Amino acid sequence: MSTHDDSVTSRIGEFTRDAVRNGWTRERCVVLLSLGLLLFGVVAPSFQIYLFTEFLIIALFALAFNLLYGYTGLLSFGHAMFLAGGSYGLAIFLQESEPYVSNVVGAGPAPLVSWVLGAVFAVSLVIAMAVPIGWLSVRLEEIYFALITLAFGMLVYSVIIQNPQGLTAGSDGINVLLGVTEIGGAEFRLGDRQIYYYLTLGIVGASTYGIWRIVNSPFGTICKSIRESPERAAALGVDVRFHRWMTFIVSAAFVGIAGVLIAGLSNVASPYHAHWSESATAVVATVIGGATYFAGPIIGAFVYLYARWGISRYPALEAHWEFFMGVLIILVVLYFKVGAAGGLYMLRTWLLDVQAAYRRGGANAAVGFVRESATNKLRRDSDASESDTGGVER
Amino acid sequence: MISTLSFVSVSDLVIGLSLGSRLFLIAVGLSLIFGVLGVLNFAHGALYMIGAYLALAFTTQVIDNFWIGVVAGAIGVGVIGVLIEVGTIRPLYDRVEADLDQLIVTFGFVLVIHEVVRFVWGSQPYSTPAPDALAFSVSVSGSTFSAYRLFVIVAALVVMAALWLFIRRTYFGALVRGTSSDREMASMLGVDVPRLYTGVFFLGSFLAGLGGALSAPLQSTSPALGEQVIIDAFIIVVIGGLGSMFGAFVGAMFVGLMQAIGPSFIAAGHIAIPFLAMVLVLLVRPEGLFGGLGE
Repeated sequence: MSTHDDSVTSRIGEFTRDAVRNGWTRERCVVLLSLGLLLFGVVAPSFQIYLFTEFLIIALFALAFNLLYGYTGLLSFGHAMFLAGGSYGLAIFLQESEPYVSNVVGAGPAPLVSWVLGAVFAVSLVIAMAVPIGWLSVRLEEIYFALITLAFGMLVYSVIIQNPQGLTAGSDGINVLLGVTEIGGAEFRLGDRQIYYYLTLGIVGASTYGIWRIVNSPFGTICKSIRESPERAAALGVDVRFHRWMTFIVSAAFVGIAGVLIAGLSNVASPYHAHWSESATAVVATVIGGATYFAGPIIGAFVYLYARWGISRYPALEAHWEFFMGVLIILVVLYFKVGAAGGLYMLRTWLLDVQAAYRRGGANAAVGFVRESATNKLRRDSDASESDTGGVER
Repeated sequence: MISTLSFVSVSDLVIGLSLGSRLFLIAVGLSLIFGVLGVLNFAHGALYMIGAYLALAFTTQVIDNFWIGVVAGAIGVGVIGVLIEVGTIRPLYDRVEADLDQLIVTFGFVLVIHEVVRFVWGSQPYSTPAPDALAFSVSVSGSTFSAYRLFVIVAALVVMAALWLFIRRTYFGALVRGTSSDREMASMLGVDVPRLYTGVFFLGSFLAGLGGALSAPLQSTSPALGEQVIIDAFIIVVIGGLGSMFGAFVGAMFVGLMQAIGPSFIAAGHIAIPFLAMVLVLLVRPEGLFGGLGE
């Protein structure tokens, strides 16, 4: 027996200990955040729940996109095709097979069972798309990769618009209605905003954890090495093309999950979900949030949706909210490549320094530190020569 | 051959060629900028759209002369292009991921320009009549089309020829070709590369504005125009080869004809075919069907 017990119960015990005792650990943050998110679904007004659900889905979309962009250095301008793959996979499955499912499991649980099977079918469909498309796309790099993914995305869009065999209903899209499920006398509607919020929260939470595990695994380390220098990675024995292909497929699969969720939220699988401007949503959210941070796309999606909501309170501005997004992207790329997540991280480091100064020498030392760092910052900005701003530290 | 093509009328053919000519005027600037600067300008379609609006505004508010409006629109767009290049693209050349950063910045301008145009001119589409001198119809073998469409085709050919002479036969053209094939060497030989880049960006934007202004009588001018044409322009420059002017011409005619006569014989696939062609070219011959600027 090794002294390091790795069983599930001891891990949970360790986690709980970390969460309760050792100050502001990551574990405690996770627990408090989870409690807050669970509570949100009970106390928040209906519209806020809808908005937050949408945020969670866009966050997953951007997070999965960033697996390819931030971690492997490939900018895809066609990831919306997998969003549409997920949406249409679910919609077509529900449309074609709900009667059969109902025959097998009975009318009560049929809507829930169909949804689960439909989600599995949709993600399988997305993976089946991503395997050949990824294999072809990773032959190209940089701008050419962006162009070929754009082309594949618009190819999928035009196939959906053409309505092959009457399967995709052309530009109308397919309605996705999640009916009333009845199990053992208990009735609920999966499409109910509150229930759908918890469903989305669970799936997005699990997916986020999955992506986090992936980027922190040896697989993720290889991704980062490819981003930093494909040549050196290849020299170390990494099959760069194969690895990019695998990352492409994993990224697409998670986007497919987001696609399944967005079809249920908007009640429609629409061809718009495949359009390149939808792919741009993931790019915008990721760039604003900061592609080099794991949480960047999540924070970017938050800014994207809530900035829009904030602006919508001023009708004169609301119509032009994309203007602000455009300006924000330009400014972030030019001057602040670390994005909102990087900004928050720098703020946290700075606040900890202030706190340390306060502990050392009381309020005077803290004020002194603030003044000093501000003047340093101003001086650095004023003589910020054209030194290399490309290499962003993680 | 004649019998198989009999359902394609002459007017369809002229429409296709004029659509192609209009697309050529957009794509050639995009291709030129990429060939020399290595920048894929996502905002190029938006610049084209501004060209149409500026020409429109100029003719309705300053001088009621179509031709002066076209020139004013093109120059105005060229100046906007210079501001974009100097302000936001030039600082990025030395970055590690310059290509992608520049693509994303120019995408930011797609959003900004779209909203500014909507703010200034509103969302409703505008239409412009063809100039009086060309406001008549031509009949060929039973089909009728406006003379202005023929004019746009001729204009595209003239621009093509002028650009070719400019790049191949002038001193500035030689500098452009040299910088395009080796930026460091050109710089060492005394070429002011940043200024040359700005000049080329002006020329490319000018061409986009010219295309937008000249096409105004053929299309309804609305804020959505920029996003529609940029994807077509991407298809064209990829098929023809990023950096190739002749390639842009052939690609533009292919896409234009596909839009005009495609539906009459491949009803199911005419939207998908250009994208399929784009994918195939990228996979088989990423440098495009016709080499780069130096060829």
